[in-house]
Amino acid sequence: MNDKEIIELVNTALAEEFELEIEDMKPEASLLDNLGLDSLDRVDMVIVLENQFNFKVREEETIRQIRTLGDIHDFVITKKHEIGSE
Amino acid sequence: MDKNRKTNFFVIILMNLIVYPMIFVWTGIIILVSPFLMLVIIISPFWRLDRFIRLFVWIYGRGWMAILSPFVRFKREGFTKTYPRPPCIMVINHQSFFDTYCMALFPFSDVTFAIRSWPFKLFWYAPFMRMARYLDVETLGWQATSEIGGKMLARQSSLLFFPEGHRSRDGNLGRFYSGAFKVAVDTGAKVVPVCISGTGDLLPPGRWWLAPTVIKLKALPPIDPNNFSGPMAHSQMRKHVKKKIAECLEEFQNC
Repeated sequence: MNDKEIIELVNTALAEEFELEIEDMKPEASLLDNLGLDSLDRVDMVIVLENQFNFKVREEETIRQIRTLGDIHDFVITKKHEIGSE
Repeated sequence: MDKNRKTNFFVIILMNLIVYPMIFVWTGIIILVSPFLMLVIIISPFWRLDRFIRLFVWIYGRGWMAILSPFVRFKREGFTKTYPRPPCIMVINHQSFFDTYCMALFPFSDVTFAIRSWPFKLFWYAPFMRMARYLDVETLGWQATSEIGGKMLARQSSLLFFPEGHRSRDGNLGRFYSGAFKVAVDTGAKVVPVCISGTGDLLPPGRWWLAPTVIKLKALPPIDPNNFSGPMAHSQMRKHVKKKIAECLEEFQNC
Protein backbone atom coordinates (compact mmCIF):
# COMPACT_ATOMS: atom_id res chain seq x y z
CA MET A 1 0.00 0.00 0.00
CA ASN A 2 1.51 3.34 -1.01
CA ASP A 3 1.13 6.66 0.79
CA LYS A 4 -1.67 7.89 -1.50
CA GLU A 5 -3.69 4.74 -0.86
CA ILE A 6 -3.16 5.09 2.87
CA ILE A 7 -4.40 8.70 2.78
CA GLU A 8 -7.48 7.69 0.79
CA LEU A 9 -8.22 4.85 3.18
CA VAL A 10 -7.84 7.12 6.24
CA ASN A 11 -10.17 9.68 4.70
CA THR A 12 -12.77 7.10 3.72
CA ALA A 13 -12.72 5.38 7.12
CA LEU A 14 -13.05 8.67 9.06
CA ALA A 15 -15.70 10.07 6.70
CA GLU A 16 -17.78 6.93 7.12
CA GLU A 17 -17.47 6.78 10.89
CA PHE A 18 -17.99 10.47 11.61
CA GLU A 19 -20.40 11.34 8.78
CA LEU A 20 -17.94 13.78 7.19
CA GLU A 21 -17.98 15.06 3.62
CA ILE A 22 -15.03 13.70 1.62
CA GLU A 23 -14.51 17.12 -0.04
CA ASP A 24 -13.93 18.69 3.40
CA MET A 25 -11.15 16.25 4.15
CA LYS A 26 -8.13 18.32 3.25
CA PRO A 27 -4.75 17.75 4.95
CA GLU A 28 -4.82 21.24 6.50
CA ALA A 29 -8.33 20.70 7.97
CA SER A 30 -8.33 21.13 11.75
CA LEU A 31 -9.93 18.15 13.49
CA LEU A 32 -11.81 20.37 15.94
CA ASP A 33 -12.55 23.57 14.03
CA ASN A 34 -13.08 22.29 10.49
CA LEU A 35 -14.16 18.68 10.93
CA GLY A 36 -15.89 19.12 14.30
CA LEU A 37 -14.29 16.09 15.93
CA ASP A 38 -14.56 16.34 19.71
CA SER A 39 -12.53 14.59 22.41
CA LEU A 40 -14.68 11.45 22.29
CA ASP A 41 -14.37 11.33 18.51
CA ARG A 42 -10.57 11.35 18.92
CA VAL A 43 -10.78 8.22 21.07
CA ASP A 44 -13.06 6.61 18.48
CA MET A 45 -10.73 7.74 15.71
CA VAL A 46 -7.90 5.69 17.22
CA ILE A 47 -10.11 2.58 17.30
CA VAL A 48 -11.22 3.18 13.70
CA LEU A 49 -7.60 3.51 12.53
CA GLU A 50 -6.50 0.45 14.54
CA ASN A 51 -9.26 -1.65 12.96
CA GLN A 52 -8.67 -0.28 9.49
CA PHE A 53 -4.89 -0.72 9.44
CA ASN A 54 -4.42 -3.62 11.86
CA PHE A 55 -2.04 -1.92 14.26
CA LYS A 56 -2.18 -0.89 17.91
CA VAL A 57 -1.71 2.72 18.88
CA ARG A 58 0.38 3.14 22.01
CA GLU A 59 1.85 6.57 21.24
CA GLU A 60 -0.73 8.47 23.31
CA GLU A 61 1.41 11.61 23.47
CA THR A 62 1.73 11.68 19.65
CA ILE A 63 -2.05 11.22 19.31
CA ARG A 64 -2.68 14.09 21.73
CA GLN A 65 -0.52 16.37 19.56
CA ILE A 66 -2.48 15.63 16.41
CA ARG A 67 -4.31 18.78 15.27
CA THR A 68 -5.04 18.33 11.57
CA LEU A 69 -6.07 15.62 9.18
CA GLY A 70 -2.59 15.86 7.64
CA ASP A 71 -1.12 14.96 11.07
CA ILE A 72 -3.24 11.79 11.03
CA HIS A 73 -2.06 10.94 7.51
CA ASP A 74 1.58 11.40 8.61
CA PHE A 75 1.02 9.33 11.75
CA VAL A 76 -0.56 6.41 9.90
CA ILE A 77 2.01 6.49 7.09
CA THR A 78 4.87 6.46 9.61
CA LYS A 79 3.21 3.66 11.56
CA LYS A 80 2.67 1.56 8.44
CA HIS A 81 6.31 2.06 7.39
CA GLU A 82 7.48 1.05 10.88
CA ILE A 83 5.42 -2.13 10.71
CA GLY A 84 6.66 -2.83 7.17
CA SER A 85 10.30 -2.55 8.22
CA GLU A 86 9.93 -4.87 11.25
CA MET B 1 -50.90 40.10 -3.35
CA ASP B 2 -53.70 37.48 -3.24
CA LYS B 3 -56.13 37.17 -0.35
CA ASN B 4 -54.41 34.15 1.29
CA ARG B 5 -51.00 35.79 1.29
CA LYS B 6 -52.50 38.97 2.74
CA THR B 7 -54.15 36.94 5.52
CA ASN B 8 -50.93 35.03 6.27
CA PHE B 9 -48.95 38.26 6.38
CA PHE B 10 -51.49 39.77 8.79
CA VAL B 11 -51.41 36.66 11.04
CA ILE B 12 -47.59 36.69 11.17
CA ILE B 13 -47.54 40.40 12.11
CA LEU B 14 -50.22 39.83 14.77
CA MET B 15 -48.40 36.75 16.12
CA ASN B 16 -45.10 38.61 16.54
CA LEU B 17 -46.77 41.67 18.07
CA ILE B 18 -48.54 39.50 20.65
CA VAL B 19 -46.08 36.67 21.35
CA TYR B 20 -42.81 38.57 21.86
CA PRO B 21 -44.13 41.04 24.48
CA MET B 22 -45.96 38.24 26.30
CA ILE B 23 -42.82 36.06 26.39
CA PHE B 24 -40.87 39.05 27.70
CA VAL B 25 -43.46 39.59 30.47
CA TRP B 26 -43.65 35.84 31.25
CA THR B 27 -39.85 35.62 31.55
CA GLY B 28 -39.84 38.70 33.80
CA ILE B 29 -42.51 37.20 36.07
CA ILE B 30 -40.59 33.93 36.36
CA ILE B 31 -37.33 35.73 37.19
CA LEU B 32 -39.03 37.95 39.80
CA VAL B 33 -40.97 35.13 41.46
CA SER B 34 -38.16 32.60 41.49
CA PRO B 35 -36.08 33.95 44.46
CA PHE B 36 -39.06 33.71 46.81
CA LEU B 37 -39.95 30.20 45.68
CA MET B 38 -36.31 29.12 45.91
CA LEU B 39 -36.14 30.39 49.47
CA VAL B 40 -39.15 28.25 50.37
CA ILE B 41 -37.59 25.23 48.63
CA ILE B 42 -34.23 25.69 50.36
CA ILE B 43 -36.03 25.69 53.74
CA SER B 44 -38.26 22.76 52.76
CA PRO B 45 -36.98 19.31 53.78
CA PHE B 46 -39.02 17.64 51.00
CA TRP B 47 -37.54 19.16 47.86
CA ARG B 48 -34.06 19.43 46.40
CA LEU B 49 -33.31 22.80 44.79
CA ASP B 50 -32.00 21.37 41.49
CA ARG B 51 -35.10 19.20 41.03
CA PHE B 52 -37.35 22.14 41.82
CA ILE B 53 -35.56 24.34 39.27
CA ARG B 54 -36.04 21.65 36.61
CA LEU B 55 -39.77 21.66 37.42
CA PHE B 56 -39.71 25.46 37.25
CA VAL B 57 -38.08 25.32 33.78
CA TRP B 58 -40.75 22.85 32.66
CA ILE B 59 -43.49 25.20 33.87
CA TYR B 60 -41.73 28.09 32.11
CA GLY B 61 -41.76 26.04 28.87
CA ARG B 62 -45.48 25.35 29.39
CA GLY B 63 -45.97 29.12 29.60
CA TRP B 64 -44.21 29.62 26.25
CA MET B 65 -46.42 26.97 24.71
CA ALA B 66 -49.58 28.58 26.11
CA ILE B 67 -48.53 31.96 24.71
CA LEU B 68 -47.89 30.44 21.28
CA SER B 69 -50.98 28.21 21.27
CA PRO B 70 -53.30 30.62 19.37
CA PHE B 71 -50.88 30.42 16.45
CA VAL B 72 -49.17 27.03 16.85
CA ARG B 73 -50.72 23.56 17.11
CA PHE B 74 -48.87 21.08 19.29
CA LYS B 75 -49.19 17.36 18.56
CA ARG B 76 -47.66 14.71 20.79
CA GLU B 77 -47.28 11.02 19.88
CA GLY B 78 -45.83 8.04 21.69
CA PHE B 79 -45.98 9.66 25.13
CA THR B 80 -48.16 8.08 27.79
CA LYS B 81 -48.42 8.37 31.55
CA THR B 82 -45.93 5.50 31.83
CA TYR B 83 -43.71 6.12 28.79
CA PRO B 84 -41.00 7.26 28.57
CA ARG B 85 -40.28 5.89 32.01
CA PRO B 86 -37.73 8.03 33.88
CA PRO B 87 -34.83 7.93 34.37
CA CYS B 88 -33.78 7.52 30.76
CA ILE B 89 -31.62 9.28 28.20
CA MET B 90 -33.63 11.17 25.62
CA VAL B 91 -32.02 12.17 22.35
CA ILE B 92 -33.79 14.56 20.02
CA ASN B 93 -33.11 16.18 16.66
CA HIS B 94 -32.55 19.94 16.72
CA GLN B 95 -34.19 22.47 14.38
CA SER B 96 -34.76 25.60 16.39
CA PHE B 97 -34.02 27.56 19.55
CA PHE B 98 -37.64 26.79 20.45
CA ASP B 99 -36.95 23.01 20.67
CA THR B 100 -35.80 23.41 24.26
CA TYR B 101 -39.14 24.94 25.31
CA CYS B 102 -41.03 22.09 23.60
CA MET B 103 -39.54 19.76 26.19
CA ALA B 104 -42.45 20.98 28.33
CA LEU B 105 -44.49 18.53 26.21
CA PHE B 106 -42.81 15.69 28.11
CA PRO B 107 -45.10 14.07 30.68
CA PHE B 108 -42.45 14.59 33.40
CA SER B 109 -40.41 17.59 34.42
CA ASP B 110 -37.27 16.11 35.96
CA VAL B 111 -35.04 16.40 32.90
CA THR B 112 -31.38 17.44 33.00
CA PHE B 113 -30.29 19.07 29.75
CA ALA B 114 -26.83 18.13 28.44
CA ILE B 115 -25.95 20.97 26.10
CA ARG B 116 -23.11 23.01 24.64
CA SER B 117 -21.51 26.01 26.34
CA TRP B 118 -23.20 28.95 24.62
CA PRO B 119 -26.61 28.76 26.38
CA PHE B 120 -24.74 29.07 29.69
CA LYS B 121 -23.69 32.56 28.51
CA LEU B 122 -27.30 33.84 28.41
CA PHE B 123 -27.15 35.80 31.67
CA TRP B 124 -30.90 35.65 32.35
CA TYR B 125 -30.99 31.84 32.01
CA ALA B 126 -27.49 30.83 33.20
CA PRO B 127 -28.17 30.96 36.99
CA PHE B 128 -31.20 28.70 36.57
CA MET B 129 -29.26 26.30 34.35
CA ARG B 130 -26.46 26.07 36.91
CA MET B 131 -28.91 25.54 39.77
CA ALA B 132 -30.74 22.88 37.73
CA ARG B 133 -27.35 21.14 37.30
CA TYR B 134 -27.59 21.16 33.54
CA LEU B 135 -24.49 19.66 31.95
CA ASP B 136 -22.18 21.90 29.93
CA VAL B 137 -20.75 19.08 27.81
CA GLU B 138 -18.18 21.26 26.03
CA THR B 139 -16.60 22.48 29.24
CA LEU B 140 -16.93 19.21 31.16
CA GLY B 141 -15.66 16.85 28.46
CA TRP B 142 -17.18 13.42 27.91
CA GLN B 143 -15.58 11.64 30.85
CA ALA B 144 -17.03 14.09 33.38
CA THR B 145 -20.34 14.32 31.48
CA SER B 146 -20.69 10.57 31.70
CA GLU B 147 -19.85 10.50 35.43
CA ILE B 148 -22.16 13.38 36.40
CA GLY B 149 -24.84 12.13 33.99
CA GLY B 150 -24.69 8.75 35.74
CA LYS B 151 -25.20 10.47 39.11
CA MET B 152 -28.21 12.42 37.78
CA LEU B 153 -29.75 9.20 36.44
CA ALA B 154 -29.19 7.57 39.82
CA ARG B 155 -31.15 10.48 41.33
CA GLN B 156 -34.05 9.62 38.96
CA SER B 157 -33.48 12.60 36.67
CA SER B 158 -33.59 11.83 32.95
CA LEU B 159 -30.94 13.27 30.65
CA LEU B 160 -31.66 15.08 27.41
CA PHE B 161 -29.18 15.45 24.55
CA PHE B 162 -29.32 17.10 21.16
CA PRO B 163 -26.88 14.71 19.43
CA GLU B 164 -26.46 17.05 16.43
CA GLY B 165 -24.86 19.56 18.82
CA HIS B 166 -26.44 22.54 17.06
CA ARG B 167 -29.56 23.51 15.14
CA SER B 168 -29.93 22.21 11.62
CA ARG B 169 -29.19 25.00 9.12
CA ASP B 170 -31.00 23.40 6.19
CA GLY B 171 -33.76 21.44 7.92
CA ASN B 172 -31.99 18.12 7.31
CA LEU B 173 -30.78 15.83 10.05
CA GLY B 174 -27.12 16.65 10.77
CA ARG B 175 -24.20 14.62 11.95
CA PHE B 176 -24.77 12.88 15.31
CA TYR B 177 -22.12 13.08 18.03
CA SER B 178 -21.51 10.03 20.20
CA GLY B 179 -21.62 11.55 23.69
CA ALA B 180 -25.21 10.66 24.60
CA PHE B 181 -24.66 7.08 23.51
CA LYS B 182 -21.39 6.81 25.41
CA VAL B 183 -23.25 7.87 28.56
CA ALA B 184 -25.92 5.24 27.79
CA VAL B 185 -23.32 2.49 27.34
CA ASP B 186 -21.41 3.58 30.47
CA THR B 187 -24.52 3.77 32.67
CA GLY B 188 -26.73 1.08 31.10
CA ALA B 189 -29.61 3.60 30.82
CA LYS B 190 -32.01 3.13 27.94
CA VAL B 191 -32.12 5.72 25.18
CA VAL B 192 -35.47 7.11 24.08
CA PRO B 193 -35.22 8.69 20.61
CA VAL B 194 -37.51 11.69 20.27
CA CYS B 195 -38.41 13.23 16.95
CA ILE B 196 -39.48 16.87 16.59
CA SER B 197 -40.74 18.72 13.53
CA GLY B 198 -42.27 22.13 12.87
CA THR B 199 -40.04 24.23 15.11
CA GLY B 200 -37.84 24.92 12.08
CA ASP B 201 -40.84 26.67 10.50
CA LEU B 202 -41.70 28.52 13.69
CA LEU B 203 -38.25 29.98 14.33
CA PRO B 204 -35.38 28.64 12.20
CA PRO B 205 -31.74 29.65 12.81
CA GLY B 206 -30.99 33.08 11.32
CA ARG B 207 -34.56 34.41 11.46
CA TRP B 208 -36.01 36.48 14.33
CA TRP B 209 -39.70 36.57 13.44
CA LEU B 210 -42.09 33.79 14.32
CA ALA B 211 -44.48 32.06 11.90
CA PRO B 212 -47.54 29.89 12.60
CA THR B 213 -46.95 26.15 12.29
CA VAL B 214 -47.79 22.69 13.60
CA ILE B 215 -45.22 21.21 15.99
CA LYS B 216 -45.06 17.43 16.29
CA LEU B 217 -43.16 15.59 19.01
CA LYS B 218 -42.93 11.81 18.92
CA ALA B 219 -41.28 9.43 21.40
CA LEU B 220 -39.96 6.29 19.71
CA PRO B 221 -39.51 2.90 21.43
CA PRO B 222 -36.54 2.68 23.83
CA ILE B 223 -33.14 1.41 22.72
CA ASP B 224 -31.23 -0.76 25.17
CA PRO B 225 -27.44 -0.18 25.23
CA ASN B 226 -26.98 -3.84 26.14
CA ASN B 227 -27.91 -4.70 22.55
CA PHE B 228 -24.60 -3.21 21.40
CA SER B 229 -21.17 -4.53 22.28
CA GLY B 230 -17.46 -3.91 21.82
CA PRO B 231 -15.34 -0.76 22.15
CA MET B 232 -17.50 1.01 19.53
CA ALA B 233 -20.86 0.05 21.06
CA HIS B 234 -21.77 3.72 21.47
CA SER B 235 -20.99 4.34 17.79
CA GLN B 236 -23.22 1.45 16.69
CA MET B 237 -25.96 2.77 18.95
CA ARG B 238 -25.55 6.29 17.56
CA LYS B 239 -26.01 5.05 13.99
CA HIS B 240 -29.04 2.95 14.96
CA VAL B 241 -30.77 5.82 16.79
CA LYS B 242 -30.05 8.27 13.97
CA LYS B 243 -31.66 5.85 11.50
CA LYS B 244 -34.79 5.64 13.68
CA ILE B 245 -35.08 9.44 13.99
CA ALA B 246 -34.48 9.88 10.24
CA GLU B 247 -37.28 7.37 9.50
CA CYS B 248 -39.60 9.23 11.86
CA LEU B 249 -38.84 12.60 10.23
CA GLU B 250 -39.52 11.09 6.82
CA GLU B 251 -42.81 9.74 8.14
CA PHE B 252 -43.72 13.26 9.39
CA GLN B 253 -42.91 14.74 5.98
CA ASN B 254 -45.07 12.21 4.19
CA CYS B 255 -48.06 12.78 6.50
